[in-house]
Amino acid sequence: MMIQVDRLTKYYGDYAAVRDVSFQVKAGQVVGFLGPNGAGKSTTMRILAGYLTATSGSVQIAGLDVFWKPVEVRRHIGYMPESCPLYAEMRVEEYLRFRAGLKGVYGSNRRSRMDYVLQRCWLKDVRRQLIGTLSKGFRQRVGLADALIANPKLLILDEPTAGLDPAQIRETRSLIRELGKDHTVLLSTHILSEVTRTCDHVIIINKGQVALDRSLKDGDTAEQLEELFVRISDSEERVKRPMPAGRN
Amino acid sequence: MRATLTLIRREFTAYFYSPIAYVVFAFFLLATGYLFSLTMNQLTEHGPRGVEYPLQMLLGDERFWLIFVSVLPLITMRLFAEERSTGTLEMLLTAPLQDWQVVAAKFAACFAFYAFLWLPTLLYLPVLLGFDWQSRQAAVDYRPVLTTYFGLAMVGAMFLALGLFVSSLVRSQLVAALISLAMSLVFVVAAFWRPELDTGSLSYKLRNFVSVPVHFHSDFTRGQLDSRSIILYGSTALFCLFLTVRSLESRRWR
Repeated sequence: MMIQVDRLTKYYGDYAAVRDVSFQVKAGQVVGFLGPNGAGKSTTMRILAGYLTATSGSVQIAGLDVFWKPVEVRRHIGYMPESCPLYAEMRVEEYLRFRAGLKGVYGSNRRSRMDYVLQRCWLKDVRRQLIGTLSKGFRQRVGLADALIANPKLLILDEPTAGLDPAQIRETRSLIRELGKDHTVLLSTHILSEVTRTCDHVIIINKGQVALDRSLKDGDTAEQLEELFVRISDSEERVKRPMPAGRN
Repeated sequence: MRATLTLIRREFTAYFYSPIAYVVFAFFLLATGYLFSLTMNQLTEHGPRGVEYPLQMLLGDERFWLIFVSVLPLITMRLFAEERSTGTLEMLLTAPLQDWQVVAAKFAACFAFYAFLWLPTLLYLPVLLGFDWQSRQAAVDYRPVLTTYFGLAMVGAMFLALGLFVSSLVRSQLVAALISLAMSLVFVVAAFWRPELDTGSLSYKLRNFVSVPVHFHSDFTRGQLDSRSIILYGSTALFCLFLTVRSLESRRWR
């Protein structure tokens, strides 16, 4: 079992972003994490990645508890947050070397990993370019390359195709499909066709709780998924919930 | 350990990517250069006036410390505040690095930059001390120089740790700089404050205990190492670093 989430709850003050969420992800699966905006997807992913701590409940990744052994858990994870923050004044190569060093990849291993991710994420042409001068699509790729650099068993990708043009989306999608063969991937997205094409399992979160958790069969289409999604989000008259101020 | 070294290296070189480092450098060199020329004038004047401890002229002066204390927050303001506002702190804290390693690396990097700031002043030393290249002897005792630099290292550690702590609390770099400046001023303004205090009173002693220019004027530049000031700087620095680690860890219970 790669990820085991048990009754995860996260409160921001009085606001329950995530309430009693439980799910499991087996090794080698590619799981699509869906939900309306504000449902708690990013919060859950951040808790899994070790950036935030849950208010209650437990998360185990590769058998290690995220709360008690955070550093070991992080070695198994490649995380790419939604906003894809990067240091604009560094070059792509420099940045990846730095991230590899942080993650414990050195020497000739580092060089070969860097060549590998630069190639896999189509960054070979821009390796000496300043990150601040790259377009959004390239920056997402750098973020993805960073997530891959230490060859983690689990990839947590928060909206990896947000803001990309259709050609880039297609490339990223095929990349994720390939990665799914060797790594476990948990990715969140709003593009349902992506989910049906790359994922073999889908989890829908609504209002901080798991609304749907099942494998995708061959016959499932994006329209059916959309229907499910809309039904779930509308089922309890969706009132606009105000975002709490302290979310950083 | 190597991860910490990687971070130190990146943080140190990051200083040189932004213009702030160069502006700070230039300003600092100007300030020390001016003081150096003042001291040289004093040393080379004809007549009975002289300077017993050249470095005392440079560093015992409160005006130097006002400049010093306004420059240091510029070095530390970006350390955590910029990362927080651009979101890169999330990437740093999801790397397999402990919180204390992150703080230690940032502190080591800014201290290295601070040491780098003082490096050019080593050029002044042979001149100030009347170093004779033939006999390799200094005309003036060189030991106060060692104690002065040691004092500078300790005081730098204190102000930098303070700035680092403040930077870890706020999101805006400007606010971080201003608050660190305000807090560092406590140590420097004490020298100016109420000069008419009775020399035997408790408030006089307290004031002098805290006042950095007084420490330098009476102890470090004269070759004395007063353990009270050293312990003050060291313990304040360690305390601020401890608080910074705690402030990072506090996201776990927020």
